[in-house]
Amino acid sequence: MNKQKLIISSAYAAIITIAFVVIITIWAELSVPLKDWLKNFSGHHWTSKSIFAIDLYAISTAMFYLLPQKHPEGFLRRSLNSLFVVTLLGVVIITLFFTAHNFKLL
Amino acid sequence: MDIISILQNKPVLIGIHLGFAIIGIDAFLWLLGKFKDNSSSLKSKFVTALIGVSAFIISWVAGGYYYVVYYGTLVKPVIKSGLAPWAHNIIMETKEHIFLFIIPIAVTVLFITLLENKDMDHLKLRSFAIRLSGLVAILGLLIGAMGFIISAAARWGATS
Repeated sequence: MNKQKLIISSAYAAIITIAFVVIITIWAELSVPLKDWLKNFSGHHWTSKSIFAIDLYAISTAMFYLLPQKHPEGFLRRSLNSLFVVTLLGVVIITLFFTAHNFKLL
Repeated sequence: MDIISILQNKPVLIGIHLGFAIIGIDAFLWLLGKFKDNSSSLKSKFVTALIGVSAFIISWVAGGYYYVVYYGTLVKPVIKSGLAPWAHNIIMETKEHIFLFIIPIAVTVLFITLLENKDMDHLKLRSFAIRLSGLVAILGLLIGAMGFIISAAARWGATS
């Protein structure tokens, strides 16, 4: 097992998953048909998002790991740093969005 | 009453959700110390991260079940008609979605623990591992604080 490649794959899959959760959440709040579709998929919009997020993370990790790609020196550190930054951005965006939504600014 | 019925009780679900989240937070804080200390074995770090990831998964399932089955019909209307409807609109909505970030980050940290100490030093990964472990713990604490606000808003809503 290539441990470094596994960590890089997981970090990028996590970044994609966080971006997905942020985008689908905001989109579904602004689009009734999408939120209804998410509700109908599993019975609850949050359950559907959870299922898609976990599937996306697992599939992306496997896909990145299986790609025949060699990473240059420093790529691992960059991937972990990107995960850290994207997580903070995701928290800020989600919080600001629901705050603005509550005050009917969006 | 069988064990499944007991596990589906609202106070038990909340207890499992909160209790295992605390175990997850503690495990990742403990792991942060192990990364900082640099003397722990690969096995010790891996087991600590595995406990943390497993605890967050159990917390997620219990909290998710409670949220999907009970919160929307029993708690949300009380909060929305109470003194702090924003507690649902802002805090709960934010909490339920940020929770989805935790498992992928925690599993990534779990994979970092597969590296030997010498590889961590060679790759200059220690500070990144510390930061990500801390991030998981802080997200857990943030979500816990949000849960406290939501519970308080429900109590105020029920008595207002």
